[in-house]
Amino acid sequence: MTTRATRTPRRRTVVALAVILAILAAFVVRLVDIQVVKADEHVAQSLEFISKGTAIPGQRGSIVDADGAVLAESVNVYDAQLSPQVIRLLEEDDKNPPALPWAEASTRIAEIMGLDAEKLRADVAAALAANPDSQYLPLVKGLSTEKYIQLRDLKVSSYLTMKPREVRVYPNGAVAGNLLGYIDGSGEAQAGVEKMDEKCLAPTDGEESYRTGKNGVVIPGSESRVDAVDGGAVQLTINSDLQWYMQQMIAEEAQTQGAKGGTVTVVEVATGKIRAAAEWPTMDPNDLDASSSDTWGSKLFTYPFEPGSTFKPVTAAAIMENAGVTMTSPTVAASSKEKFANGAVINDAFVHPTFQYTLAGALIDSSNVALSKFGTMVSPDVRYDYLQRFGVGTRTVEFPDETSGLLHPTSEWDNQSLYTTTFGQYFTVTAPQLAGAYQAIANGGEKIGLSLIESCTTPDGTVVTPEAAAHEQIIKPETAADLTRMLENVAVQGGNAERIEVPGYRVTSKTGTAQIPDGNGGYKAGVYYTSMVGFAPVDDPQYVVVVTLDEPTRVTSSAATASAFQKAMTQTMKTYRVMPSSTPMDALLPKFE
Amino acid sequence: MSLNALAPRPRSQPDAPSRAPRRRLQPVTGTPVRRKPKLAYALIAVAGALAIGAVQIGLSLAITQDSFTLASLSSEQHELDLRTNALQEDLTGLSSPQSLATGAAALGMVVAGSPAYLRLSDGAIFGQGTGAVGASTVDPNGAGAVSNALLNDVPVNASTEDDATPDGTADGTAEQSAQELPPAITDGLPSPTTR
Repeated sequence: MTTRATRTPRRRTVVALAVILAILAAFVVRLVDIQVVKADEHVAQSLEFISKGTAIPGQRGSIVDADGAVLAESVNVYDAQLSPQVIRLLEEDDKNPPALPWAEASTRIAEIMGLDAEKLRADVAAALAANPDSQYLPLVKGLSTEKYIQLRDLKVSSYLTMKPREVRVYPNGAVAGNLLGYIDGSGEAQAGVEKMDEKCLAPTDGEESYRTGKNGVVIPGSESRVDAVDGGAVQLTINSDLQWYMQQMIAEEAQTQGAKGGTVTVVEVATGKIRAAAEWPTMDPNDLDASSSDTWGSKLFTYPFEPGSTFKPVTAAAIMENAGVTMTSPTVAASSKEKFANGAVINDAFVHPTFQYTLAGALIDSSNVALSKFGTMVSPDVRYDYLQRFGVGTRTVEFPDETSGLLHPTSEWDNQSLYTTTFGQYFTVTAPQLAGAYQAIANGGEKIGLSLIESCTTPDGTVVTPEAAAHEQIIKPETAADLTRMLENVAVQGGNAERIEVPGYRVTSKTGTAQIPDGNGGYKAGVYYTSMVGFAPVDDPQYVVVVTLDEPTRVTSSAATASAFQKAMTQTMKTYRVMPSSTPMDALLPKFE
Repeated sequence: MSLNALAPRPRSQPDAPSRAPRRRLQPVTGTPVRRKPKLAYALIAVAGALAIGAVQIGLSLAITQDSFTLASLSSEQHELDLRTNALQEDLTGLSSPQSLATGAAALGMVVAGSPAYLRLSDGAIFGQGTGAVGASTVDPNGAGAVSNALLNDVPVNASTEDDATPDGTADGTAEQSAQELPPAITDGLPSPTTR
């Protein structure tokens, strides 16, 4: 029976129970929320309070040449500092005198660091006079490891601390300096291969972490260490000895010719590997400030120029494959200055009567007029296609800031450029692009993409080679053979024949003289960007050499490059022990009919 | 309910004789002769425990010893790394082509022109075989010298501690080369075997 009297307490109990349950449920919900739903978040938050960690820096990888000679490496130097306070405390401690009294220690330290001992003692005394608890007196920065060892062996680490600091060293100085690039003060790669292959060179920092309890005491067993992974070693295709010779030689030649600058590029025919890429003026990445900042990049890859006559063989290839022209027929009549039907006026570099030029003759005499007549035997689109096939408008090795050069579409060719494009004007290339074009001719018409980086070796020894360069048969082997024969005739019958002779070797060569834009839409008067390109030996082409001079003044024409080209080719043959030519040259090709 | 219900019921005491045949339990008649525990088992157990203990101590000693060895080896490794770095730093710059070229130029060597090759098997000459002219195609000390800031502090070919070579002066090095003559030829010029 339920009476009023019994009902009231029971209801009260039920209500109380319900309240308790509700509160309990709220707690359970909160508990689940904390322990399960947001557990990770809270754990992370708590770890933040008690976890400490220090980064372990990894070392940046080195850059080596094709033979493994180190071109760039990271080493530790040490920055020394003193704690005058500790020196004072040690000296004042009569009961427990230091093993090496300051008077003697200071002399030894000064001796190793190359300081004046008297001055060192005076500095410490002055620091102490100013503040008896002075803890920081900077000494020499950038001590070598040898000095670090000597100083460490003094066993005075209680007041002499030496912090390691990573610096980049380029053992060969300016050799390949422009290719290597440099690292700025904050350790960022700013140019060259340092920037180009940052992915391989950059280290991954490690970390040493631990948890601390009250007062920063490390909780035992909480330490964990992730080792740093050093950067990989980048191997270049460059031969540093050849590179040195080319830089030395082009610097001398450019100065002899009164030029503003010069470059040499050497490319291996069979592989497309760049074996030397020298330029002057140059920079030494060890001492950037010694050179002006416009030499800090690589002009070789970033400066495009109108190649001029060096691209006449490309026009020749187009007409030989598409208009049935051979080395000796048909011929075209050309004088040294002609006005064409569309109004264009084309000049040759020298005055001559009207000749019946063969294609070979037009190349040997480098006649712009004859080439204009030959070149227009095919449509502009065909020539555009050939320029593209030979690499105009395509970057070579993706060097930082590398230019692709400029190739206008045929729709933009006007009356004048319809003809000037047959002899290397109205488009621009870089020296490596020029080398690439001749690599195809030397390699039987098969163009192989240029390469500068051989491989990346990771710290665990894995060798990662970049994607293989593209191979493409851009002209028929017979066309390439005919071009080679004509280019050998250019070398032998051309105006520079004696100056470019490499005794024992049959060489090809072609000169180029480009006008330099004056920045106001016109061209600079009387000064040119001259170049010479060729390969050797003709019977088994091994290396392509390109030499350029920027505004030579002693001889302003492309003849200025002859001596540099001859030296570059000779040294390349010698460096790679290329066997001299064993077969004699074919009969000379007739220039005229 | 009445309290009677809780009163203990009188135990029914069955008649002893009637249950006798079912009785299994026997009165204890005497203590059985206790067998003497075998000492060997005890010894084995104790020895086993001791052996386990000993092995454990031995192992932990070995591990501790190993960690000492490891520590000393890694400090040795660190020391050797430092020495290697120090020695390599000495070579930095000196190993450069500039340093080699200036050294060679100081000895009077030149970068000559076109090469020629002599085939040993038949004495054939490849190339022009003209001798080198006295002039070098480049001058490593001239106006075109390729700079190397690392060589500025160190004179080229400067002697390091245990290197007795005097700095690259022509006399000093010539003197040394005089001491180190090539091996004397005793069996005639090296030549291919002919039949």
